[in-house]
Amino acid sequence: MNIAWKEMKKNKAKFLILGSIVFLISLLTFIISGLANGLSDDNASLIKDLPEGQFYMSEDAEQTYNLSTIDNETQDQILSEHTDSTAFSIQRGFVNDNDDKQHGVVFVTSTDSNLFKNVDSGEIILDRSLKDDGIKVGDTLTNNQFDDTFVVKGFVAQKKYSHSPVAYINTADYKQMYRTEEMQLIFIPDANDSLTFSGLESFSNKAFLQTIPSYSAEQMSLNMIVWFLVVISGMLFAIFFYMMNVQKIGLYGILKAIGVKTSTLFKMMWTQMLVITSIALVLSVLLSQLFNQVAPEGMPFSLSIMTTIQLAIVFFVIGFIGATLSGLQIRKVGPLQAIQQGEV
Amino acid sequence: MSIFSIKDVHKSFTNGEVEEEILKGVNLSLQRGEVTALIGASGSGKSTLLTIAAGLQPASNGQIIFKNENIAAYNQEQTRKIRAKEFGFVFQSSHLVPFLTIEEQLLLMLDVAETTLNKQEQQQEINKMLKTVDLEHRKHAYPSSLSGGEKQRVAIARAIIHQPKILFADEPTANLDSKRSKEVMELIQELTKTLDITTLVVTHDEEMLAYVDHIIKMKDGIVMGQGV
Ligand SMILES: Nc1ncnc2c1ncn2[C@@H]1O[C@H](COP(=O)(O)OP(=O)(O)O)[C@@H](O)[C@H]1O
Ligand SMILES: [Mg+2]
Repeated sequence: MNIAWKEMKKNKAKFLILGSIVFLISLLTFIISGLANGLSDDNASLIKDLPEGQFYMSEDAEQTYNLSTIDNETQDQILSEHTDSTAFSIQRGFVNDNDDKQHGVVFVTSTDSNLFKNVDSGEIILDRSLKDDGIKVGDTLTNNQFDDTFVVKGFVAQKKYSHSPVAYINTADYKQMYRTEEMQLIFIPDANDSLTFSGLESFSNKAFLQTIPSYSAEQMSLNMIVWFLVVISGMLFAIFFYMMNVQKIGLYGILKAIGVKTSTLFKMMWTQMLVITSIALVLSVLLSQLFNQVAPEGMPFSLSIMTTIQLAIVFFVIGFIGATLSGLQIRKVGPLQAIQQGEV
Repeated sequence: MSIFSIKDVHKSFTNGEVEEEILKGVNLSLQRGEVTALIGASGSGKSTLLTIAAGLQPASNGQIIFKNENIAAYNQEQTRKIRAKEFGFVFQSSHLVPFLTIEEQLLLMLDVAETTLNKQEQQQEINKMLKTVDLEHRKHAYPSSLSGGEKQRVAIARAIIHQPKILFADEPTANLDSKRSKEVMELIQELTKTLDITTLVVTHDEEMLAYVDHIIKMKDGIVMGQGV
C-alpha cells in the first residue's frame, strides 16, 4: 500500500503549499536564467553564434581587441594556410537614416567568409532590431566618417554585440571610415590552443567573450542569482521536510512499533518529495518555455530546453539531498517515543 | 510448556547520575489461548515489562523465550520482524495513522506483516474483522471522525488482523468509560479464545479482571504472585 500517496491525498493543502513554493522558485530561476542568457546573446550573439575555434589578436593589444592590429603579411599567411578562417574587425559607430535620425550600431567587417555576412562596397546588412526602428531595405544610410553612403541590402536575425545591433559593411568602406589598413582579429574555426602564431595571442570562444567589457560582470551577477535560488530551494526542502518529520515523530514511532521498516519511512518521504518536485518542475518548465515564446520582442530573453532541463535536474538533486538530510532524524525515532508521548 | 515466557528480566534506567533498577529479576509465563492480566501500583514497572516483552525496548538482562528462542538476543531487524509478524499491540491511546481510513489501517498492517493473502482474501479478512469489532459501517472513515471507543476497537482490529501469536495491551481501557471498557475487554477475551491468541494485558481497573484467566501482580519491580 502506498502510504506516501495516501498522506498527500489527505493533507492536500500542506503539500500544495510546498509544491507551489518549489514551482515559484524554480520558475523564477528559469526566468532569471533565460534573462541571463538573453542578455548574454544581446551582448555577444555575434561571437556566440560562431563555431568553436580560436581567436587571435596582437599581443601588444593586451587583450583589448580595439587596440589590436594584425599586420597584412601575417594575415595573408594565416588566411592562405587556413582556408576557412577569416580576419575581421569590430567598431562601435552610428548610422543616420533618411530622417537624419541616429542609430547606434557596431560595424563588423570581415574578409571573404561564410562566418560573417559579406557585402559590396556601399552596401550594408543590419540586425533585425533596426528594422523595428523603421529602417527598410533600400534605405540610404550615412555616417559622418564615411564619404559615401550605405544602401540597406537586408537584415539578419539576432546579431548583437555589446548590446548594440550589428551592421555588416565592406572591408574597403571600413578601412576608409576608420583610416586603417589592418584588421583587428582573426578567427580560425575548429582550431585549438595548440595552434599559435608569433606576435599573436590566442583565445578560445569562451575566453574571447570574457574580453568583452561588461560581459563577464553581467553574467557573473546573474549566474550568482540563479545559484542562490537553487541553494535556497534546497534549504527550503530541507526545512519543510524537517518540520514535517518533527510533526510526525509520533507517527513514525508507532509505525516502527508495529513493524514498519525504517527504509519504508524513507521511501515514503522520497516518494512525496519526488511527486511534488516533478509536478512543480514540469509546470514551471512548461510555463517558462511558454514565456520564452511570448516574451516581448525587445526583452532580452532566451531559454533553451537544454538549460531548463539541466536546472530541473539540479533542483531534483538538491531537493533529494535536502529531504534526506532532514530525514536522518527518522532513523533515531524509537518505537516507544510515540507511546510515551500519548495521542498521535 | 508455555508459548511465551520471561526469565529473570532486569531493567535499569539512569537518570543523570543515579541508576535505578525498575525490574529486578522478573519471571512469568503466558498460557496459549488465555488472557493474562498484569496489575500493580502505578510506577511498579508494568509498562516497562510489557514493552520489553514486546520487543519495543531492550532488557538490561534476562531472557524472553518465544517459540523456544531467546528473542532478547535478537538484533534490531530480527526484533522488528517478530513485532511485525508475531505480535500485536494495543495501547492507552489508539495510535492510529491519521491519514488512513479504517480499512487502510488494516491493509497497512497486513502489508507490514508480509501477508501471503491475495488482494481479495485480504479484503475478506478485513471485512470479517470489522464485523467482529462492529465497525463495518465505518470502513471508509478516518480516525478523526471516530469516538474513543471506536478508535480503540480499530486499534484492536489492527493488532490482530495479521493473526499474531501474542497480543500486548497496555491499559487499553484507561481512556474509556466503564461501559466501553467492558466492551473492549470482552472483545479482547473473545478474540483471544476464538483466534487462539495469547494475551498479556496491563490494567489497573479491578472491574476488568473479570475478563481475564490469570492475574500477575507486580510490586517494586518483581512479580508478587501468579494467580487465577
Ligand atoms: N525511559 C525511562 N527512563 C527513565 N525512567 C523510566 C523510563 N521508563 C520508565 N521509567 C521509570 O520506571 C518506573 C516504572 O514505570 P512504568 O513501567 O511506566 O510503570 P507502570 O506502567 O507500572 O505505571 C517509573 O518510576 C518510571 O519513571
Ligand atoms: Mg504504565
